[in-house]
Amino acid sequence: MSWSIERKLPLLVSALLLIVGIALLSVGYGEVRRAARQLADDRLTRADSAIANLFQTAQQRTRLTTLAKDSALAAFLTQTTRRSRSRNLVLDAMRRIVTDTLSNSALELLDTAGHALLRTGRFAAAPSVLSVLAGDSTVVGPLLRRDTTLYYAAAAIIRRDGRLIGSVQQIARVNLNERTRKALTGLAGGDVAYLLGNMAGDPWTDFETIIPAPPLSVRTSQRPIRYERGEAKRAAATVIPGTPWSVIAELPSRRILAPARAYLVTMAPIAALIVLIGAIIAWWGSHRLTTPLREVTMAAEAIAEGDLDKRVDVYRRDELGRLAASFNIMAEHVARSHHRLEGEVARRTEALEGTNAELESFSYSVSHDLRAPLRAIHGFARILLDDHKTQLDPEAQRLLGVIDQNARRMGQLIDDLLAFSRLGRKEIAAAPVDMHELAQGVSEDLRRSEAEQRESLDIRIDPLPPALGDRALLRQVMSNLMQNAVKFTRGKDSARIDVGSRPDSGQTVYFVKDNGAGFDARYADKLFGVFQRLHRAEEFEGTGVGLAIVKRIVQRHGGRVWAEGKVGEGASFFFTLPAAEKPAAEKANARSG
Amino acid sequence: MREAVEILLVEDNPEDAELALRALKQRNLANQVFLCRDGAEAVDFFSKNNGPDPKVVLLDLKLPKIDGLEVLRRLKGDARTRSIPIVVLTSSREEPDIEQAYELGANSYIVKPVDFDAFARAVADVGLYWLLLNHPPQ
Repeated sequence: MSWSIERKLPLLVSALLLIVGIALLSVGYGEVRRAARQLADDRLTRADSAIANLFQTAQQRTRLTTLAKDSALAAFLTQTTRRSRSRNLVLDAMRRIVTDTLSNSALELLDTAGHALLRTGRFAAAPSVLSVLAGDSTVVGPLLRRDTTLYYAAAAIIRRDGRLIGSVQQIARVNLNERTRKALTGLAGGDVAYLLGNMAGDPWTDFETIIPAPPLSVRTSQRPIRYERGEAKRAAATVIPGTPWSVIAELPSRRILAPARAYLVTMAPIAALIVLIGAIIAWWGSHRLTTPLREVTMAAEAIAEGDLDKRVDVYRRDELGRLAASFNIMAEHVARSHHRLEGEVARRTEALEGTNAELESFSYSVSHDLRAPLRAIHGFARILLDDHKTQLDPEAQRLLGVIDQNARRMGQLIDDLLAFSRLGRKEIAAAPVDMHELAQGVSEDLRRSEAEQRESLDIRIDPLPPALGDRALLRQVMSNLMQNAVKFTRGKDSARIDVGSRPDSGQTVYFVKDNGAGFDARYADKLFGVFQRLHRAEEFEGTGVGLAIVKRIVQRHGGRVWAEGKVGEGASFFFTLPAAEKPAAEKANARSG
Repeated sequence: MREAVEILLVEDNPEDAELALRALKQRNLANQVFLCRDGAEAVDFFSKNNGPDPKVVLLDLKLPKIDGLEVLRRLKGDARTRSIPIVVLTSSREEPDIEQAYELGANSYIVKPVDFDAFARAVADVGLYWLLLNHPPQ
């Protein structure tokens, strides 16, 4: 499919714009997305560290450790009697801690067996969460669940003189409600949600309700990763120092990618608009570019078809304008030289026509005026012979006979000369000619006229390909050559004439070969001249025009003619003619049609 | 009053005329021959002729004053002379002459042979044919 430049150019430009637009959009989208994710990741890590600090239990643990070292507690535990006074002292110390730290917690004083000896605070006590106590510092236990509440225990060991005598344990409840969750989310800003739970597994909470524990990979990953919880989310975890807990900050992917989507929504129509405007500009530019080109093309075609006066109407200052101007100048030159040539041809034709007319009147005069006196010479010589024979002696009669003969011969010469001159003017009506049939026709005529005088005349005609030419003229060529062959073999006992052909680069070489008198090869070029004869008149009759006529006809057909021969060994005459390949196909068509 | 003319010979060349007359005489056709030496005489002959029309006109083409084709045109263009047979007898075997002669209404076109025997035979045959064999309209 071939499209015009006018269509191809804007299509190409639009395609390029489209590709560039899509590339820019996708690169931009990718960048925005990456930046948004980076931002979200930063936020998640910051949010993590913020809440980890919020859950700092250091102060609480310090107080608990301090409480465990209080002498009142040790005294209470070592006293076996009169505990009431020291019991009040212990409760006072314990209450102080509860008020100072977590309001919704309880404190228990345990003996070495883990039995609670004293208890304070509002929170209902749970069984001891510390099965093993070691070291002197406070240990925070894992989050525990009871129905819908979440709590934990922290405990410190009480010693006296290095000996373990009991422990103090604080049990605190984690506040789970919407307010807590919203407060925390507000703290981190935006849509960040927090999850809290044990690093080891359940229970977990989002600070409003109990939820299933997130996968281990999320619980332990410090770097933000992607995971599914209801929807796609991005989350980062951090360990709360001094506890076995982990807190996770998470953001829905949807919210993270919102800016990227917003970018796409804003930029896509702008890109589409740019492509559209680009396409329109490309179409307009291409139109402006190709219109003058089309004008020039059409003008060139018009000139090619012969309308030499066609010009281009393009008035611009750029290259196209120059092209049009140059084209017009060139067309002007072409038209001018064409007209000059036409004039020249007309003048020459006129001159040629004049010459032709002169030649025609000349040959007319020859034809008419030369014959009349000849007729008179011949006629009166005959009358003399017919009417006054008795008064003429034999010598006079012989002389009159010579006059008679020469007058006839002169008549023949005039006729031949006229025929030869007519050939130069005759139009050649070229058509496929069956040369084989033509040669056979000539051969039959010759046999008929020679049959009485000759005992053996062997004429062999090979299959001959058709030629392109004027049938009547080509018959004359064949007839003249074959007549010559017959004439010059008269002296032979067994005359043999061969007619044949061979192809020669688009043409056909035809030949007529005889085994007759032949000729001296030195005079081969003289054979075809008018009135040129290589034999004496008594030997072979003829005016010397036959071969000149052959040469002129063959040349007018665009062919060549030449001869080969040797005295006493025969002669061969060759002539070329354009081959006619078409007749076979035409015949086939005619048959099928 | 002269005798009725049967053959009108229009020929400017005296030798050709003599040879033609001789050929006709040999067949006893010469008595009724009238000779015109040029085209004008031929045209004149017809304008003054009161007697019956000649049975045939032997017309050369190359004639002084009025040439043969013009004579032919006038005779064939005139209603009174249109039916007279005209045989063109000329040296010219040029194609244009032959075509034009027939176009103008010539009844025959004969090229004068150089050979006297052939010429004599042709003239005599033409005379015999038109005088004895041909039946003109009455």
